[in-house]
Amino acid sequence: MKFTKIFFISILACLLAACELNINPDLENADRVLVVNGWITNRPGNQTIVLTKTQPYFEKSLPPTVAGATVTVSDDKGGVFNFSEDPTKKGNYVWKPTANELFGTIGNSYKLSIQSEGEIFESFAKMGRVPGIDSITLKKNDPDKLNPDFYIAQQWATDIPGKGDFYWVRAVKNGQRLNKPAEINIAADAGFAPESTIDGITFLPNVREGISPFDKDANGTALSPYLPGDSVYVEIHSITLAAFNHLQQVSIQTNRPGGFAELFATPLSNVSSNIRNVNPSGKKVVGFFNVAAVSGLGKRFPKK
Amino acid sequence: MRFVLFLILACAVHASAQVGEKITVSGYIKDEANGETLIGATVYVKETATGGITNEYGFYSITLPSASYTLHYSYVGYASITKSLVLNKNERVDIELNGDTEQLQEVVIQAEIEQANVQNTEMSTNKLDIGTIQRLPAFLGEADLIKSIQLLPGVSTVGEGASGYNVRGGSVGQNLILLDEAPVYNSSHLLGFFSVFNPDAVKDVKLYKGAIPARYGGRLSSLLDVRMKEGNSKRLEVTGGIGTIFSRLAIEAPLIKNKASFIIAARRSYIDILARPFVKLLQDGGALNFYDITLKANYNINPKNRVYLSGFFGRDNFKFDRSQGFNWGNATATLRWNHIFNDRLFSNFTGVYSDYDYNLRFGLTEKDAFTWKSSISNFIFKPQFTYFINSNNEVNFGAEAIYYTFKPADAGGVNNGKPVDFSLERKNNLETSVYISNAQKLSPVISVDYGIRYSLFNSFGPGKVYTYNDTVPGFRKRVIGERTYNSGESIASYGNIEPRASFKIQANPTTAIKGSYTRMVQYLHLISNTTASNPLDLWNPSSTNIKPQLADQYTLGYFKDIGSRQQFELSVEGYWKTTDNQVDYIDGANLLINEFLEGDLLSGKGRAYGVETYLQKKSGRLTGWVSYTLARTELKVDGINKNNWYPTRFDQTHNLKVVGFYELNKRWSVSANFVYTSGTPATFPTSRYVSEDILIPYNPNESRGNVNLPDYHRLDVSFRLEGKKQRRGKDRKHSDYWVFGVYNLYARQNPFSIYFSQKDSRVPQGQPISSQATQLAIIGTIIPSVSYNFKF
Repeated sequence: MKFTKIFFISILACLLAACELNINPDLENADRVLVVNGWITNRPGNQTIVLTKTQPYFEKSLPPTVAGATVTVSDDKGGVFNFSEDPTKKGNYVWKPTANELFGTIGNSYKLSIQSEGEIFESFAKMGRVPGIDSITLKKNDPDKLNPDFYIAQQWATDIPGKGDFYWVRAVKNGQRLNKPAEINIAADAGFAPESTIDGITFLPNVREGISPFDKDANGTALSPYLPGDSVYVEIHSITLAAFNHLQQVSIQTNRPGGFAELFATPLSNVSSNIRNVNPSGKKVVGFFNVAAVSGLGKRFPKK
Repeated sequence: MRFVLFLILACAVHASAQVGEKITVSGYIKDEANGETLIGATVYVKETATGGITNEYGFYSITLPSASYTLHYSYVGYASITKSLVLNKNERVDIELNGDTEQLQEVVIQAEIEQANVQNTEMSTNKLDIGTIQRLPAFLGEADLIKSIQLLPGVSTVGEGASGYNVRGGSVGQNLILLDEAPVYNSSHLLGFFSVFNPDAVKDVKLYKGAIPARYGGRLSSLLDVRMKEGNSKRLEVTGGIGTIFSRLAIEAPLIKNKASFIIAARRSYIDILARPFVKLLQDGGALNFYDITLKANYNINPKNRVYLSGFFGRDNFKFDRSQGFNWGNATATLRWNHIFNDRLFSNFTGVYSDYDYNLRFGLTEKDAFTWKSSISNFIFKPQFTYFINSNNEVNFGAEAIYYTFKPADAGGVNNGKPVDFSLERKNNLETSVYISNAQKLSPVISVDYGIRYSLFNSFGPGKVYTYNDTVPGFRKRVIGERTYNSGESIASYGNIEPRASFKIQANPTTAIKGSYTRMVQYLHLISNTTASNPLDLWNPSSTNIKPQLADQYTLGYFKDIGSRQQFELSVEGYWKTTDNQVDYIDGANLLINEFLEGDLLSGKGRAYGVETYLQKKSGRLTGWVSYTLARTELKVDGINKNNWYPTRFDQTHNLKVVGFYELNKRWSVSANFVYTSGTPATFPTSRYVSEDILIPYNPNESRGNVNLPDYHRLDVSFRLEGKKQRRGKDRKHSDYWVFGVYNLYARQNPFSIYFSQKDSRVPQGQPISSQATQLAIIGTIIPSVSYNFKF
């Protein structure tokens, strides 16, 4: 419930000012663990699965890549998709389509197999269905609302009737991907929780407006999410329930605005992974595998 | 169960049969100035070296063989009264004690010091009178009951701004807070910065941390018994004040002199009124305020019957514009009837209504508007009896019935012009209990108090109940079945026997050893997985999937009065507590508006142990206390911390509090408190990885609470200036005082938490992401305050 959190924080911010300080605590040492970034889609073009290793928390560098692995995806209809190591980009394993071939078919189930450093890892995901985006609109706030000068963009799409659809709405504003932890925008059917009964209707406002970034300038002044003349490109990715839960956890663990929000923080814990070592006592693995069907729509808002 | 009841009765009856012709002296002890009854005042019979203590309604009863006696009535801070009586028939003796400090100063020298510390079987309790609470240096100068009890041994908090408190390793939801017998489900204004109790309306506060009497139940950790003032029954009295946050006003007056009186006290934050001219939002329909109203009336029908009606209404109200905002608050009403059947049988019948609710409204446009309401409300009926059999036996017995209605979410609205409904089913529950206990003096050296409580919790329809699969612990459970129950049909039922026992060995007149065993059962669960509890946290009843929480606590203590006039009171208490069916949460649990909430809950066990040392100086120009607690509190839940024990978020190894009050001269006094606690546990990552441009913290050891935050310490000081007693040579009609306070005198930035995040900027794909650790202090600076208080 992101909005309730925002409510509380704004109340407190009105009255008091918390005080923050960056520190460099000593952290426990830990072994490096295989990381699988397996978010593949039916978008035209190459599909890439990236294998890296975890790093010490404060190590500010690109993560170490994992070379020499065998990466395969197979489906429940007998199809096999080989992801071969990209000789120019270490750790990247790429499936190249022939002609206009798209990866995957909605409704099929996929199995990811990875052989690396003598261990076998696997994961399963079903490719879900995805609705098209009808339109994207820009609206100035009502004059009696907070921040009346702000422009909010909304994407308009309708959840496919029938429960059990999960989506990740991803947006690009003026060519920049909105990829801050606070911008993870996921939906369970038309609502925000897998157990909700909100199904088959227009997405709820928090999902529709989730394509609007709330940024601040260098002085800390809040900026309007969009202005006339801005462009936006929105994609809806179909995800599995496991991926929905995973992203919800990622959002909880990584979206740390600090300040009074810390009063309502939950304990730090590992986010879930749907990848497992075939040998339960083997090496650990983290990351995620999802095969998404994607719909997209772009729009440039007219200048006044 | 029946056997135990029989046993207690048999002991009591046996005790009463032993004695021959006995005569009872009984009555109320009150404050002479305003007619308020005094709770815990002592009556001491010189000849027999026995005595009694007034109950929650100021009533006492002592039974003695017929003879001549010298009775000594005393109460802390009051001049005591000695009365000679020739007892040959039952006597009603109502006493009024004088607590006027001006007059008292001359009397206090010979006044006998209370020895309740060593003369009472009671242990693991702390009493705070409102005068002490008002003298403690307070955050923004607002005298605060909840913050004050955090200065007592065994009580801790997760930090500034957190609502509630933790007692002996219990969570915030394991404390029962009773305001005139009505449960208060959320004791905070503005999240946790202020508590809802108006100090002008409170008479007495008592915290039970262990050895909880059989007449109380329903929460595992503690009972905070807050008693409201009855209202001055002698004359009109107006008290009030202007502080940094609240303006307060209380009016009390007799309705019929010495027979009936009332008090009405109200507070309101006024920052919004001051800010209104400058803040457009507030002019445009925004709001930011919190207030509470406390009222009480009582009527002495005749010497045997007295009725009380009390109520509380508090609310926090925030609106961001005309159509969006939220509010929350408690409302309680209590009707009580004290009836004295005879000199030895005192009774009280209580009826309570209590409600906590919150409302949220989001109206983005006319086509998109949502409301969400949630509440817990209950009706309570509670008959209670005290039978003063003789000076060696006091039997308490009674019953309690609580009917709960839970409305987890009445939520819905309009989405893109079409109605939507997220509402969850209501839940109906009934908690009933019966109890009996006897406080028995076996010999001048040994006293015992033993009792039993039997509680029964029923959950009944209409309702839908889900069964969940047994998954790997720590993961969301899936629904594998459901069953619908009709109205009134029993869904789940739990019964529990709760034995309570304590003893005291009087080693000498100033030394006592005490011990106790207490079993507590809790049928309501505060569902909260955040560091601090917040106003949207839900209470959830026990059900087919959530079992009642149980706690067994053993305590052993050493109590000693020290000094020529016993002005020092020392206690050292150890406790060992084990708990079962403790609620914890899966990672990423969804606790709000979740029909399948129970699938996100985990269950485990807990243990808490520690030693509390408390040294108090009760009289002289310098008074105060030193409290030190050495403690540990841990949970073991399958699915968390690799199924090993882990410390709770409020575990504090060392907890030191020093409180001092010093009278500089007739007008100036200074108060100070110093707090030092070990840093609370935190969970730090070891590693990181990047997935879809987002930096995710990771700990392959899967540990919880693997690091401790830096220690917490803070010094607060306040000065109080009493207004002049006279003006132009004449006595002033009203009295007043100023309080100048400083919170966090040396401006320490006490860490509330350390959190880990990626740096704010949006990361271009393929670029390294930098990570950071941030230490947060909720109050990182010195906070001065001033308040003006008056009384006439």
